[in-house]
Amino acid sequence: MSGHVPLEEMEALALGELEPAPAKEIEAHAGSCAACARELALIRAEQGLFARRSQPSIDALWPGVAARIAREPRIHRPHWARRIALAAAGAAAAAALLFALRPAAVRAPLAQEAAASESKRAIADALATLDRAEADYRRAAVVLESEYAAARKNLDPELARRCDETLARARSNLGDARTLAAQDVNARLRVLEGYAGYLRSLRSVVEQSQEANP
Amino acid sequence: MPQARDRTSDQELLSRARAGDAEAFRVIFHREAPAVRRFLGDLLRDDSAADEGTQETFVRAHQRLGTLQQAEKLQSWLFGIARMVFFEHLRRKRRDAVPQDSGDPVEIDRAPGPEEVLLASEADQVLDGALATLSQERRAALVLRLDHGLGYPEIAETMGWSLQKVKNEIHRARLQLRQRLQAYLEGAA
Repeated sequence: MSGHVPLEEMEALALGELEPAPAKEIEAHAGSCAACARELALIRAEQGLFARRSQPSIDALWPGVAARIAREPRIHRPHWARRIALAAAGAAAAAALLFALRPAAVRAPLAQEAAASESKRAIADALATLDRAEADYRRAAVVLESEYAAARKNLDPELARRCDETLARARSNLGDARTLAAQDVNARLRVLEGYAGYLRSLRSVVEQSQEANP
Repeated sequence: MPQARDRTSDQELLSRARAGDAEAFRVIFHREAPAVRRFLGDLLRDDSAADEGTQETFVRAHQRLGTLQQAEKLQSWLFGIARMVFFEHLRRKRRDAVPQDSGDPVEIDRAPGPEEVLLASEADQVLDGALATLSQERRAALVLRLDHGLGYPEIAETMGWSLQKVKNEIHRARLQLRQRLQAYLEGAA
């Protein structure tokens, strides 16, 4: 091992997260490097402090939780979740169909006119399917964006700022990918994955908003 | 030291709890609540509020069990809910115009009472004042790593931060902690 051991690796060693081989290597290095030996000793001392803290008793807390759970009304999925589920199901079905079409769309034609014509038609079908899938994702995004807009005004400003940043980043990535994809089937497939990621980000911020404003 | 967790069992318990098995959720509570309670205790620095926050966290977790897809993320998912509960607690305090923790680092020199001296371990006493000097967010990141053994990516997810920010914050937290605990750590190291 040359140079010093990165702090995070020593931390992982102290927390018992490393496999035996790298752990042994770091220990061996620390045996001959005073700086790393000191750092490792400090990390272990910190870790020892945290490990020795007393455990708060939680026994008295369960009855209160149990009582509140027992009083809970039947759990309803939020209305947006049902609408999203429908839109996502539509998009998934479209994507599945697309995958079924894809081999024909991307198969190299064997220099046969009939095959070329079939391939052209398959690509057109694939693009139409992609358009439908994208439309489904966009509808799902509109539902979640409106949910977030409604909850946002009651959010802690710092949390709202972070949520805005997350969404702006996801939207920007998606926009760039869509522009570059044009009519390329494989690139458009990746755009669909981008939509799925954007929906996950949206769902996450909506859930955070709802947890913050029960 | 974080203990190895039985993920298969987590998965099975979660499936049963989602299906409405109250006993399965009770087992999850008893397994996870100590860490959640300690996390909230570190953030809120108020035993009664931490107890209430722990209960609220698990009531919400029960309502939202269906949204947790991966059993291996159970603990970081619970910490994420606990963190939201913590923010709401701060907001309520602000509304009620009660003096509050502003989130800025503060110098607290809280002398332990006689009962605390008897009951609290040396580690509790040593760490208590040192952690209070960290901002809330930095404190949360540090205890998630050092006390609860979450990995950097899990902390990034829980805190809503980039991986780099998690690394920076934990590094700075550690430097602050060491400044405060220098004598103790040097002696122990």
